[in-house]
Amino acid sequence: MTDFKALLRLLTDNQVEFIIVGGAAATAHGSARLTLDLDVVYNRSRENIARIFNALRPIQPYLRGAPAGLPFEWSAETLAKGLNFTLITTLGALDLLGEIVGGGSYDQLVPETIIVDVGGVHCKCLSLERLIKVKRAAGRPKDLEAVAELEQILDEIP
Amino acid sequence: MSTMKDSQQTPASKDLDPVIEAYKKDIDVTLIRENLRLTVDERFQQLMQLQKFAEDLRRAGRKARSQ
Repeated sequence: MTDFKALLRLLTDNQVEFIIVGGAAATAHGSARLTLDLDVVYNRSRENIARIFNALRPIQPYLRGAPAGLPFEWSAETLAKGLNFTLITTLGALDLLGEIVGGGSYDQLVPETIIVDVGGVHCKCLSLERLIKVKRAAGRPKDLEAVAELEQILDEIP
Repeated sequence: MSTMKDSQQTPASKDLDPVIEAYKKDIDVTLIRENLRLTVDERFQQLMQLQKFAEDLRRAGRKARSQ
């Protein structure tokens, strides 16, 4: 099980610059669909990568689905060399995304975010309108199914 | 031939994806309305409870199959 609130608190407490996207963002907007991981787009600045490294080190991040024993060193250098990381941690599944299809990078997405309060933790979340565009651009069957629900949510909001 | 008037009318209809529209028929709007009454924090709490329930069901299924 992924402890979404604990992960968000950990990132926020360490001043990590990130945006909630994907299924967790859909949950924040009222989706009833089950999602198992926390997807975030993170700022790729050197300072922020250092914050992510320090924030996640205590929860032992490892590549999700990778065979046991595969050499993987959690370091700021590893983060800087890669872009998107699908991780399993002691708090659950966390996807660190440098960019997303149809959305781009952290800087490109920031103007289209809202601040959500998750148990007293305030963090950026992709706006509903932008989330719909991103899901449409991703275009997988599960994304289009999600778009159907998100557009219904948009219709329900006064 | 398209005219200015036509092009002004098309954006909304262009966004209509038949696959998405087909999925919409199966959406339970009552669940959405219930969720929209909750705070964001309560929505995440509900998600985590659902995850736990799904995991409990998977575990029960594995156990039943192994017997």
